[in-house]
Parts: sequence; C-alpha cells; structure tokens
Amino acid sequence: MAAIFNLNHHASYVHWHFFQLSVSNLVVIVLMIIVFVAAILLPFPSHGIGGKS
Amino acid sequence: MSVSEHEPPVSAPEPGSWSGAVREWAVRTLPPEKALPDKQPTYVASWIYVFGVLSLSSLAVIILSGTILALKGPGWWHFTGIGHFFNSIHLWSVELFFFVMVVHLWGKYFMAAWRGRRKAVWITGAVTFLVAIPCALTGYVSQQNFDAQWISTQAKDAMNAVGIGSFFNLLNFGQMYSYHILLLPVAVVAIVFGHVLLVRKHGVVPPFHVASATPKASTDGSAPTDGKVSSPTDGNVSS
Repeated sequence: MAAIFNLNHHASYVHWHFFQLSVSNLVVIVLMIIVFVAAILLPFPSHGIGGKS
Repeated sequence: MSVSEHEPPVSAPEPGSWSGAVREWAVRTLPPEKALPDKQPTYVASWIYVFGVLSLSSLAVIILSGTILALKGPGWWHFTGIGHFFNSIHLWSVELFFFVMVVHLWGKYFMAAWRGRRKAVWITGAVTFLVAIPCALTGYVSQQNFDAQWISTQAKDAMNAVGIGSFFNLLNFGQMYSYHILLLPVAVVAIVFGHVLLVRKHGVVPPFHVASATPKASTDGSAPTDGKVSSPTDGNVSS
C-alpha cells in the first residue's frame, strides 16, 4: 500500500546559522505549541458537574 | 452479626514484624482514599490537566503493541500486513507519547508544579522523559533493517564522540534489543509508577491563584475551600 506521503526523497531542512532542523521536526514542534496553547484557552466540557469556578 | 465483624482486621503491627511495619508506613504515607480518589478538585477540569493521563494511555499502548511485536519477531513485523500494522501502532504510540509528554512537561513547568513539596513529583516526571529518550532510540536500532544499520553506525560515532561509547555497543543488536524491550522499559514503567504514586500522595498542583487563596490546597492536594469552590460535593468533579 502506498504511503500517504511520498518519503522516497531527501528530507527537507531549515538552516539558520549553526542551527539545523528537519521540516518534519519543525512541524511537530509547532503542533505541540498549538496544542499547548489550545489546552490553556479552550473551555473544558463540565457536563454540568460541579464547576462554580 | 455486627458491622465490625465485616471490617478487615487492621491492627498495630507486631513488634519486629517488618511486613506489618511496611504496611503501617504504606497506609500512613498513602491512605486508600488518596491512592484511589473518586473526586478531584474543580480546577482539574481543564485540558492542560489531561496530558498526564494521555501520556499514561500512550505508554499502555506502547507496552501492549511492543509485547505483541516481541512475541512475533522481525520477520512478522517486516513481511506481513498485520505485522506492519502493529509496527506502525508501536511507532505512532511512541510519537504520541513524546508529543503529549512534552505538552504535559510544558504545562507543569509553567505551573511550577514543584510547589507545595512536590519536588519529587517534578523530578520523577523529568527523569521519565530523559529515560524514555534512549528507550525510543534503541527501538530505532532494533528494527532489523538497513535503516537500523545506518542509525546504529551514526549513533555509535555519536556515542564515541561524547566519550560514552565504551559502556555499550550500538552495533550489538542483542544488547540494544535487550535495552529496548527490557532494561529501559522497566525503568520507564517503574519511574512512571512512582511518579503516579507521588501525584496521588501530594495531589495535582493547583493553579497559582487557587494556591495563593488557599495555601492548604497547594500542599496536601485537598480541594480548595474558598468562595469559588465551597463544599466537597460541588467543589469536586468525579475523576
């Protein structure tokens, strides 16, 4: 079965002075930051239990 | 028959009984109502408190899928469809484990989760992260394919370059496989177990505004009792 993404090529990198990071790792880090911010800002479903605060 | 006859015999340990002394210490350190609580403080109803249990869930999937892979062997995970499937389950549960564990660590770092005598909780969490890294990396060199050979030769040079290459040999598959499926997983599970027990003992760390309003909540894990949360019935949510 073919992969969703074609991985049969060299990895892409971002390069900034001495700092080098693969694009896939950069995507994961950005996703983690997005999830972290969302976890802080999004309201948690309380289902009507407790929750005076 | 009186009610007391149904109660388990709990008595002071016999003098010199190590098992009784350990039992006394265990119950005193972590009473059953703290070890298995049925309510949590209201402030736990936040997405940022979810990532700890997501890490535990991912770890359970990792252990389960890894056990199946170990039972079936490399031929199965490389050359059969169902083997590929479990190989992918194992890989992606590891990716998810690190993803949610990092978000959990960020959340606890910015919450200063070592407050209220929770230093050991924070340290065991951070050490779990550090031990999980070689646990995952030894998995990459245990795949039994050309990718694993390439990674192990590169990693061998890296280990030699930092001066720790004499302690283990990344080109030794048997050694790396033992590290990956026994030594390091046992270490991770043991530290995680201790981490969860410490969380149960001290309670989840309250947000800054709750801790400053109710200093008691910051140290013993009890539900806050200020105006926002007024009683055990409406001040807690079921876990």
